[in-house]
Amino acid sequence: MHTGAIDPPGIIWQRVSPKYVTVRLVEWALANLITVLLLSLPLVFVLLGVWAWPPLWLAVTVPAVALVLALWRLVLIPRQVRAIGYAERDDDLLIRTGIFFQRTMAVPYGRMQYVDIGVGPVERGLGLCTLKLHTASPGTRAHIPGLPAAEGARLREQLAARGEARLAGL
Amino acid sequence: MRAEGPRPEPGAPSTAPAPAITDPAAPRVAPANGTAEPQGVAASTADGEWLRVHPASPFVRGWVALAAIGFFFGRDVFERALQGRPILEDEFAGRAPWLLAGGGIILAIAVLGFILTWYFTKYQVSGGYVRVNTGFIFRQQRQARLDRVQAIDIEQPLLARIFGLAELKFEVADAGESAVRLAYLTMEEARQLRATILARAAGVAVDPSRPDGPAPEAPEYPVLAVPPSRLIGSLLLSEQSVFVLLGGVASVVLSAITDNRGFYFYLIPAALGLAASYWNLFNKGYNFTAAISPDGIRLRYGLLDTQAQTLPPGRIQALKVGQPPLWRALGWYRIQVNVAGYGGVENAAEGSARTTLLPVGRLEDVMAILALVLPDPGTANPADVFGAGLHGLDSDGGFVTTPRRARLLAPLGWRRNGFAATDTALLIRSGRCWRELVMVPHQRTQSLALHQGPLARRFRVADLVLHTTVGPVTPRLRQAGEEQALALFDAQSARARLARKRQTTEQWLAQVAPGTPLGDAGLPGKPAAGPELASEHQPAEGPAETPIPTQKGQHHG
Repeated sequence: MHTGAIDPPGIIWQRVSPKYVTVRLVEWALANLITVLLLSLPLVFVLLGVWAWPPLWLAVTVPAVALVLALWRLVLIPRQVRAIGYAERDDDLLIRTGIFFQRTMAVPYGRMQYVDIGVGPVERGLGLCTLKLHTASPGTRAHIPGLPAAEGARLREQLAARGEARLAGL
Repeated sequence: MRAEGPRPEPGAPSTAPAPAITDPAAPRVAPANGTAEPQGVAASTADGEWLRVHPASPFVRGWVALAAIGFFFGRDVFERALQGRPILEDEFAGRAPWLLAGGGIILAIAVLGFILTWYFTKYQVSGGYVRVNTGFIFRQQRQARLDRVQAIDIEQPLLARIFGLAELKFEVADAGESAVRLAYLTMEEARQLRATILARAAGVAVDPSRPDGPAPEAPEYPVLAVPPSRLIGSLLLSEQSVFVLLGGVASVVLSAITDNRGFYFYLIPAALGLAASYWNLFNKGYNFTAAISPDGIRLRYGLLDTQAQTLPPGRIQALKVGQPPLWRALGWYRIQVNVAGYGGVENAAEGSARTTLLPVGRLEDVMAILALVLPDPGTANPADVFGAGLHGLDSDGGFVTTPRRARLLAPLGWRRNGFAATDTALLIRSGRCWRELVMVPHQRTQSLALHQGPLARRFRVADLVLHTTVGPVTPRLRQAGEEQALALFDAQSARARLARKRQTTEQWLAQVAPGTPLGDAGLPGKPAAGPELASEHQPAEGPAETPIPTQKGQHHG
């Protein structure tokens, strides 16, 4: 897999389910297609001759740019999903995300306040879930999306048990 | 100005703070209200006895409502009297009794509500918990664990201060709201309750003959005070003043160019807002004093509304020393901290005052505060390391800075952006003009992350972000070399793990070794550079680090 220069060496990353790409595709479709369609409305009106103001080139350029950006994001989705990884170490959980803007995070088990599992409608259909870790800091935005439901439940129990063993005060 | 803080009693062995708490012979604060006073936290308070706040408190809190009722009914009469008209017109006179009765009923309901609110507000300190019951229609029972206390504040708004009352706020690590707000107690009760809560939270052994009696207040030693002249100077030279000056110049130039006099009208609201902001800073920063006691750091400040904060040892999650460019010539600094529970304050001004550990101070004040926050600096020559963090460049003091190859990313700051790790804390410095030094104790590290964008990858640098509780400090190491950042990421995880293992209990007396004189560490004459601190320090990995304090803690607990 792709690992960046900021990943600690010698880590065997666990991958999230490839089915998570579907979830991202649905999210992408909802967000981007609607945006592009809305931005295309002026073009339709101009072509129908209802609106006079936006010149044709502008009415074409704006949705075209939005479409290109949307397609670019679409192309990136499979790679972004492949770039998500997590690894359970002895004392902390490592989570990495991102291709261009990479982030590698270590969340100590002893610092976890609680662990959430969230399941959206698309995820439920695919048997996936999203694990969220919370520490006392709001800066810890530790999500592991696209886990198979069984793996999510196992990880939650595992994290809770390890957190219990290493629990520290604030 | 009345100093509301406790003073070391003459008979107390004031040179040894820790024994002074446990010594049963030490004189207690006299139960000024007598044991007959029902709401006094008097010596006879039995465990589990429910106490009420001061009877006048709902009126002090609800004076606005009473004033509104009075205004509503009084205005008309007053206006008529002023205009020389009869107070009651003819057709009105017939309805007057009804109106009076209506007003009386509203007033009675308000007063009854106040009395019921007061009657149903009860609090109790027992068994390691503080409990507060409020409300008579929608009842709320809340309990908070004493050993989870993050800070205790005693606040006196102006009106409460006139009546000698005070509000006590008990913060736990929820950023939402204060866990316990008791408004109002008499000043004496508030101080007594604070002392009791802090003593129980610290794990002080209770007096066996009176197991539930109030704890004596811990002695405290003043560390520093901010004179009003320096506060005014700091406000005049703050960043805000620079913008005011620039805005003033810009508006004069604009009005000269456009020849438009009406332009000044738009400045009036801005000026009012600025005046309010300056006044607020002055009011909050006036008479700022810091003191150290075994209970923690005591801060007091305020001109009209006074506030006394107590931060127990080790509750500070992160600290930032900052120096705006205009302060550099005068050698002034300001210190802000993150404390769990101070985060999500509804009032931003109040929040910024509470998270300020030093509104303006000189280098020795900064060193004194750093010594309070971090009694064990974890390095042999703290003055060098912290001094380099405050105004050093390149590798002085053992700092690791941005590599030369990335100087285009931070043309000014690359020689200053850097980090240094002592055995107890990570120091991150940044800023050539706006100098900043951020300190995070290892045992307070929550989680950490490395960030790298495409540009940073091109220069082979990365940012390291330490996550901490809500507050003004956001520790972020910028543009560290990839290898150094990765090494620090691993080393910091390991150090935080070790520090967490060492810190086993929430009761801080158990962590502060009995021989460590907290008061001495914070005396102004001995800033962080005190050699005795360095000599006491042992290597972080030493296996024989904790046994003695831990046993002590179990004994107390």
